[in-house]
Amino acid sequence: MADYDIKELVLITTLIFLIAPAFIISYIFVYNRRKKKHIEEKAQMRLKFGAEIAKAQLEVQEQTMQTIGADLHDNIGQLLSLTSLTLNSIELDKPAKAQQKINASIDLVLRSIKEMRLLGKLLQGDQLVAMGLPEAIRQEISWMEKSGKYQVDYTQANDIPLIKNADKDLIIFRILQEVLNNIIKHAFASQISITLEYIDQKLKLQIADNGVGFTASNVSVEQSGMGLSNIQKRAGIIGGEANIVSNPGAGTNVTVFIPYP
Amino acid sequence: MISDYFTLNTSAEIICFVIAFFCLINDKSPAWKSQILFLLITCITELIGIYIKKLYLADRVHVHLNIWVYNIFILFQIGFTFFLFSHLLNKHINSKPIILAGLALLLVMYIVEVFLHGFFEKHNLTTTTMSVLFVLLSLFYFYQLNKDAHYINLVFSPAFWWVSGVLFFYFGRTACNIFYYKLSLVVITPKHYLTYYIYNALNILLYACWSYAFICRKWLTTTSKNLY
Repeated sequence: MADYDIKELVLITTLIFLIAPAFIISYIFVYNRRKKKHIEEKAQMRLKFGAEIAKAQLEVQEQTMQTIGADLHDNIGQLLSLTSLTLNSIELDKPAKAQQKINASIDLVLRSIKEMRLLGKLLQGDQLVAMGLPEAIRQEISWMEKSGKYQVDYTQANDIPLIKNADKDLIIFRILQEVLNNIIKHAFASQISITLEYIDQKLKLQIADNGVGFTASNVSVEQSGMGLSNIQKRAGIIGGEANIVSNPGAGTNVTVFIPYP
Repeated sequence: MISDYFTLNTSAEIICFVIAFFCLINDKSPAWKSQILFLLITCITELIGIYIKKLYLADRVHVHLNIWVYNIFILFQIGFTFFLFSHLLNKHINSKPIILAGLALLLVMYIVEVFLHGFFEKHNLTTTTMSVLFVLLSLFYFYQLNKDAHYINLVFSPAFWWVSGVLFFYFGRTACNIFYYKLSLVVITPKHYLTYYIYNALNILLYACWSYAFICRKWLTTTSKNLY
């Protein structure tokens, strides 16, 4: 190679060496700007997520209040009215009939107390969740078992994260309450199986019963609005999903996946 | 003549030293504060270098070179630059193994060169290896900076500008060191070779970056201590 060519090559290489740092520094600047944008977007998303959580909590609270209101008016109110009517109609000079009516009234009052307890549980959710989701689930189950109507199997994996997310805990717990209320009201089940696991940074909550089950098409809009779609909506709000599988006579299986914590 | 001592290089160094002195004198970090001392040593070395060169040039019978002054200066250059790099990298990783390994390598090379050709010849191997190591450390720092999830405004980051100065200077100097014998043949003006202009440009770029870094450091230490 001619000496002239070598000199040219050396000059070009030197020039490249002199310019290269400028490119590297420009790249760092561009990358850093992207990082800033990314951090801003993340902060915005966190803010949006926080707002959605707050909205979801409000919605859940609103629904809880609606349930309480409806239950007080339609259920407990009716039961107490009926009790009052029954007691009013007692004729003391006919002891046999009076005894029958008193027994009926006692039965009605007991039913009212039971309904009141149910409402109490609904209101107590926030306090229960403060102890942690697994503990809240355990309390809910022990309450279910006390009724003597259900045999509840609860399995909890050992790797549930110790770091809690109170917002998500409450919504997951409300989902569980919704499912259990559905079982109490509609399923006529005797066995309930609840599993809490942690898979791929997601909490998996599975609730299965041996009740009457249902076909999705047979569930009325009103029923669906109060129960099933609520479960799916609540799970969706905290970035999760709910799968509901049911067949007439084969029970119902609800599986909820929630990114956690 | 006194004007002989004020070349483009020495002027840039003296200005940078003055800026460093005013900006870093009250700095809480010893690593940053040590830059004042380093720049003072740099200025003294340059001035002694010029003085000795003049002295040697006057002696036309014995031909000497002032290289030994710069050979001693290499030790300070290695020490102070590694010291600040260690401080900057410590924000991201444990830099001790890298810094100690680099120091050991350069020290071995320096001793080998002293044994091979003494103090009065340019320590080319040590200088080139030092330049390459500084370039690698600068790139590694940038890599750590990119990897860090926290955002810092680079325009006002003293660490970023100091490392940028190092990268510009030593990247260019590595090329000049490697191709020195070819580049020094290229004559631009009757008085100077191409290398003279490249070295001057690199020096000005280095001291401009460092001066700006020191100004940022002074400005930032009063507002935020988090941006190192």
